Amino acid sequence: MENIEEMGKILLLFISIISWMVRPPLKLRLIFKQMEFVGVKSIYVVVLTGTFTGMVLALQSYYGFRMFSAESLVGSTVALSMTRELGPVLTALMVTARAGSAMAAELGTMRVTEQIDALSVMATNPVKHLIVPRVIASVIMLPILTIVSDFMGIIGGYFVGVMVLHINKGIFVKNITRYVDLGDLYNGLTKAAVFGLILSLVGCYKGFNTTGGAEGVGKATTEAVVLASITILISDYFLTAIMF
Amino acid sequence: MFSISSEAKVGLFVFVALILLAYMSFRVGEYGFGLKKGYFVNVVFDNVTGLDKDASVTIAGVEIGKVERISLTDGKASVTLRITPDVKLEKDVRASIKSHGILGDKFVEIEPGTKESGYIEVDGQIKRVEQQADIDKLLRELGTIANDVMAVTASLKKVVGGDEGVANLRAIIQNTRELSENLNTVVKQNDEKFSIMVSSLKNAATEMEKTFAALSDITSKINRGEGTVGRLVKDEAVFEKLDRTVASLEEISDKINEGRGTIGRLINDEETVENLNASLKTIDKSMEGINRYISKAEQFRTFLSYRGEYLFDNSDAKSYLNLKIQPKEDKFYILGIVADPRGSRTTYDRTTNGTTTHTEEWDRDQLLFNAEIGKRYKDIVLRGGLLESTGGVGIDYYAFDDKLRLTFEAFDFDTDRDPHLKIYADYRLFKHLYLTAGWDDFVSDEGNESPFVGFSIKFEDEDLKYLLTSTPIPK
Repeated sequence: MENIEEMGKILLLFISIISWMVRPPLKLRLIFKQMEFVGVKSIYVVVLTGTFTGMVLALQSYYGFRMFSAESLVGSTVALSMTRELGPVLTALMVTARAGSAMAAELGTMRVTEQIDALSVMATNPVKHLIVPRVIASVIMLPILTIVSDFMGIIGGYFVGVMVLHINKGIFVKNITRYVDLGDLYNGLTKAAVFGLILSLVGCYKGFNTTGGAEGVGKATTEAVVLASITILISDYFLTAIMF
Repeated sequence: MFSISSEAKVGLFVFVALILLAYMSFRVGEYGFGLKKGYFVNVVFDNVTGLDKDASVTIAGVEIGKVERISLTDGKASVTLRITPDVKLEKDVRASIKSHGILGDKFVEIEPGTKESGYIEVDGQIKRVEQQADIDKLLRELGTIANDVMAVTASLKKVVGGDEGVANLRAIIQNTRELSENLNTVVKQNDEKFSIMVSSLKNAATEMEKTFAALSDITSKINRGEGTVGRLVKDEAVFEKLDRTVASLEEISDKINEGRGTIGRLINDEETVENLNASLKTIDKSMEGINRYISKAEQFRTFLSYRGEYLFDNSDAKSYLNLKIQPKEDKFYILGIVADPRGSRTTYDRTTNGTTTHTEEWDRDQLLFNAEIGKRYKDIVLRGGLLESTGGVGIDYYAFDDKLRLTFEAFDFDTDRDPHLKIYADYRLFKHLYLTAGWDDFVSDEGNESPFVGFSIKFEDEDLKYLLTSTPIPK
């Protein structure tokens, strides 16, 4: 019952975000600040996870494909997995851990120190001022981080496949372009945008509704990360089923 | 302190990411890793399904280049290969498309050629191409072959079918078996002796030549003597000139004696005999070596030949269709059928009340059969068996690298008439076409002798060989 109530609350928050989003003026400066926080500052972690995911994927699939002499399919396997699945999901999980948690903690602290109430008193809508920029920034930056993740993953796979495992580079690249469609790439990016919405929405909701002082902030942060991660993975399945 | 605004950072990041996206989306052209070196060589394949740009080009599994370009030229795939500069391709290399494993990355395999043929220059063409095996095509061809075989068996059924045919065939097979058994024994017993014999014959031939020369000298002298004798007979003064004739006859016989003396000396001379033996042994040894070498190679070959002869005196044509099976280079079997305008002869002897009537029947529609076994000794081929449905033997002499064949055949030995003798020459005009001319049945006492001209077509049949060696006989 509680879960369903929470779902309803999140949905209501989402609707109010939409309604505030279309109402000018939009504070671009706040949005850019959030984009820097969510996007630019996540580059390092996303590049690292993307590269190593691609590398390990190449290594693992190589051992599988070697059994029936299809080593050259390693490239396309890496590229397909990265663009369709691992790029968006891993990026979303990393950003959830980095930025989603930060959102919950920041808003939670503001809530428990009554800064949000202060904003309301100053006739500044807290949803418009605090949540809308975070959601917009996340929805925009997640696909962009995913692009980086995809690219780095393929580069990592290429490095392992061609330089370490000595798969023919021409055929490696040829198989990537042969088996990967533009659709795979764009569907992955769409997913990433949805994940961006989920993580920012959950993070903001949890932070916005924090109660119970410093302990409550910690709890809200943990809950935000767990709930966002679970929701991302579950929605990933349904998004994949719908898209492909 | 210089600090970048959030907008600039975000803008830069988005810009870089969009470039990456654009790159991944459009990914055109080459991955620019490594410098491009090498020269181009073209090769045309019928079908390059599965072959991609940048696929490997290998010799003996070693990569020597990449596929640079694949394009369509006159309905065929023209493939441009980029070959590493330090690899030179000979002009007679052979290119083929192979695949790694079952999921099959295709690559171009090049079989090296010989240095004598020279090297392919830049932008040259590989001329020898091995096409990919096409399973569908193979099956289609097999189907066609099966149909052909069915047609053959059907017509064979027509010929052999029926009790009479079976009986005939049985008789023929029985005869052939006996004959081949006998011949086998003879050949087994005399296999070694044959080769010795041939060499001896060769030596004997040179001696014979000398002897013949001497003989012709003698004959011409006899001729002159005969003239004398004739004159002597007509002349009144017989006795006077008889002395002189006797004297010249004596001279002739002296010369014959001399001739004999030479041969005798040659045969009796121990040294000559030893020399001959030694050289024969050497020949034997080298023959053994050659035999061993040849038996290692794939030797089994089958030839089909058609032969048409136009007989002038009969104004009719005689056709032969022969299958020659050659399991070893120097051994072969011939099976064939002959359509003779004179047909097949059957003789009947009936004895009624002590008087024997002899009747002959000619069946013009009856086919004649050839079943021969033969062995080749260098340029001479000895063969025997059934020739035109009668027992006989033949000898062939090959000259000018087998371009010319002189043949003598003798068969149809019958007590009440002369044997069928045939002599002819075959000359190879083109690869499979031979011109032939000769004299058929030239000692016939039935007026069958006739000169003839004709042609024959002879070719090696790989399909038939395949059927003979690998196809199980259906029950």
